[in-house]
Amino acid sequence: MDASMLYALRDPLGVPAAPIIFLLLGVLTWALHIAAVHVLLGASSLTLFGSLNKNLHWRRLADAMVSTAKIAVSVAIVLGVAPLLFVQVIYDPFWYTSNVLSAWWVIGFIAFLIIGSLLLFSFYALNSSMKTQPKTRCPGAMLAAIAFFLVVGFIMHALSVQMLKPEKWMEWYAPGGIVDASGRALHAYNFWRFGFFISLSAPVIGLWLIAYRRYLLGRENEDQAYLAFVRRLAMPLISIGGIIALALYVGWMATLDQNVASFALSFWSIITVAMLLLAVAVPFVLSKKIDSGFWGYAPFAVGAVALIVVGAMREALRWTTLYGVHGYNALDYKLHMDWYSTLMFFLTFAVIGGAVLVYLLTVSWKAGQTKGMYVASPMVNRMGTIGISLLAVWIIQYFAIGLWVAYSG
Amino acid sequence: MDLIGLYPTWYEPAIGSGWVIGLIATIHVLFSHTAVGAALLFTYLAYLGYRDDRPELIDFIKKYGTFLLVFSYILGSITGPGIWYSTTVGSPRGISSLIHNFVWKWATEWVFFVIEVVGVYMMVYLVGKVDKATYLRIAITFGMASFATMLAIVGILSFMMEPGMPNWAEKGGYLLGFYGDNTFAQLAIRIAFMFTMTAVVGGIVVAGLKDQVFKTWLARRLAVLGIVSTIIGISLYPWYLSTLPAQAQIVMENRIPDYYGTAILTVLLATIAYFAFTLFKPRMLTASVAGLATLSILILGLFPGETIRESARKPFVAGEYLYSNQVIAKDVPGMTIKSEIPTLEKVGFTHASVFWPESQRDITVNNAHEVGRTLAITACSNCHSLSTTGIRPIAGYFGGITDVSRIKTYLLGALATGNTMYMPKIPLQDKEAEALALYLASLADPTVVARYVEENSKTADAPQKLLPSIDEKKTTSPVARVNVSFPTSGLEE
Repeated sequence: MDASMLYALRDPLGVPAAPIIFLLLGVLTWALHIAAVHVLLGASSLTLFGSLNKNLHWRRLADAMVSTAKIAVSVAIVLGVAPLLFVQVIYDPFWYTSNVLSAWWVIGFIAFLIIGSLLLFSFYALNSSMKTQPKTRCPGAMLAAIAFFLVVGFIMHALSVQMLKPEKWMEWYAPGGIVDASGRALHAYNFWRFGFFISLSAPVIGLWLIAYRRYLLGRENEDQAYLAFVRRLAMPLISIGGIIALALYVGWMATLDQNVASFALSFWSIITVAMLLLAVAVPFVLSKKIDSGFWGYAPFAVGAVALIVVGAMREALRWTTLYGVHGYNALDYKLHMDWYSTLMFFLTFAVIGGAVLVYLLTVSWKAGQTKGMYVASPMVNRMGTIGISLLAVWIIQYFAIGLWVAYSG
Repeated sequence: MDLIGLYPTWYEPAIGSGWVIGLIATIHVLFSHTAVGAALLFTYLAYLGYRDDRPELIDFIKKYGTFLLVFSYILGSITGPGIWYSTTVGSPRGISSLIHNFVWKWATEWVFFVIEVVGVYMMVYLVGKVDKATYLRIAITFGMASFATMLAIVGILSFMMEPGMPNWAEKGGYLLGFYGDNTFAQLAIRIAFMFTMTAVVGGIVVAGLKDQVFKTWLARRLAVLGIVSTIIGISLYPWYLSTLPAQAQIVMENRIPDYYGTAILTVLLATIAYFAFTLFKPRMLTASVAGLATLSILILGLFPGETIRESARKPFVAGEYLYSNQVIAKDVPGMTIKSEIPTLEKVGFTHASVFWPESQRDITVNNAHEVGRTLAITACSNCHSLSTTGIRPIAGYFGGITDVSRIKTYLLGALATGNTMYMPKIPLQDKEAEALALYLASLADPTVVARYVEENSKTADAPQKLLPSIDEKKTTSPVARVNVSFPTSGLEE
């Protein structure tokens, strides 16, 4: 499949803003999404392990982690929508082709994700107080949920790999010259790459536990033995999990296709390794400092930055493959600048999204830290009122501009 | 190079990709509309609960909210992108058209959706943990953000039927594509029916309430909400219909099965009857009764409704410029889009399609049947099943005819010229029409292929002889080609 064919597949509508914006938003939102996925997988695994353990600390942790997993699955789904949107904007030829060639798996992705999520919620409903009850009901549901999440992850992985192999598409679509439109096969995957992304769940949940521990430290009369247990668990998850992830990364880079093999020693590859090492090292370097101030949250923040770098590296590899090998430049997409919708999005994202989410998360945080009922301060109340006012302004402008466009003649 | 950007096709012989998309979309409509309606209901109940100091109302929000966490915010959240996924594999250029026109609107909806999801968790888990004024602020924020998601999406749904304003094609741009008569009519009708769905689904939660007095109070209010919203929804329907393009009106009059309209009206009347029942006999409301009512609305109301919306926009799938078979049918100067019909008239699917097996670019006696199959998959299977099951089985339209020549004549005379209502113009080359006709004939009688090859091998120089090229024919009008002979076949009329 030569470049002219790839360009022919592009949507002739073009894009409403500079393509680089979609690329950057894609990287950023993918990093947020994958962070939520890692927390989901890590928390689910700790839930399963803890629920099968008689130790009281493990049971308390399992109780906390199943709640974390439940929220993480929602967050992962919601945050996953954004990179899914942006990949379609500038990589439509690749994403759509890859999806169609494995159509049943794409439909299966929806079904498996629903089943996995329902199993997780079922386990949560059946074990609403693991920390006080010694027996766990139906741990198989949690195990099955994890299995379904891994299958879902593998489908996404395969679709992402397939989109990088346009030279194989015709062979997959019409083997021997006969069209196979069944969409029943997954055609390409790389277990090293998949293993790398999944294994990152271990260090990420370790960093999450450090932050969780710091959050508990903010409460009065917290059980010190439990806090020590959480720390003892988190550190090897970060260090050993991080080393395993790096080993899998090396395996992935070593198995890259010949025409992009040099990427393994590129700037993006090296900085990825450096950032992952830094994220692993930070909690050890901070040592006892993580108990003071906001330092306890620093390791997870560094981990989040490391995941953004991982996302950038993933994007750089895609660019190297599609542009360097196949001659497709995602950044020369036809531009039909649409100022209104572009500005409206960024205003909504930064002003309304920022103001409202800061308010909601502030209330959640304070309520979680308060024993008994949290009474918001005048400052927090003002934040809430501002958020509501901004939402009202958005709705009013929607109707004002819409009615003017539709009925002004 | 004359290429058009047709993607590979996913063809599912048992039920067809159309039904898969329809199924997921219908389920999502129930989840998402219930979510928005419930968010606004929660806002109102939170206001009442704190104004009148009625903690049972806040407790109900917690119960309904917990139910919605799974019902709308897990299943709904998954089936939302699920529609993207299913349309990606069933109609990639259709979803691409919506994405590239409205990416920022979708991204804006995403911002509100994030707020909504954070909001619903707070509504459920902060009951009794924050002061009243704060909880009410969260409820209002949640309700408004949820409503904004509907506002952001409705214009995109309208664009599937037609661009907001007729001059979008000339001028292009987001505003003219998004806003129009149909946008607001559709918004109004969706708002009405979302409250109907909220009231029906809410019944499942109300049925489980232990306090009979409160159960009666709430069931009656949901019943009133359901009756009023259903009646308003029905009364808005003529307005909605009046905003549909003329083509859609004709299609609806002629192509939609009669029982669809009856089914929808019946389910709406049955919905009113159901609410009347819960109004006068609220204590009889059980989870299974409410669940059955929800299922009935899903199967008998929403599915036919979505099917009608889907069918009425044919032969287009987006913006009245993109055919259901993924071919761009018209110029859209405002977005510098060129129709692909001239390219197909010039070189045909076999030479214009990116995903076409090289061995099928040139049509021979021996590969004609396979080329016909590829053509059917590419140009027909989005709307017509090639098997006996699934969506609109194509064989049924030819009444068992096995005469390749007759089918070819129809294809060139009616289909290639765009003279069949409801169908896209499919500008087949003469030899493509022959190949497709052979494939269609073989659906009624598979032995026709062997006979065709045998007969044509006798008259042809060799089995691999190419069918005449376009240049050899020098025909410019597809109509003219109806009577063009087919030297290797000997089947022409």
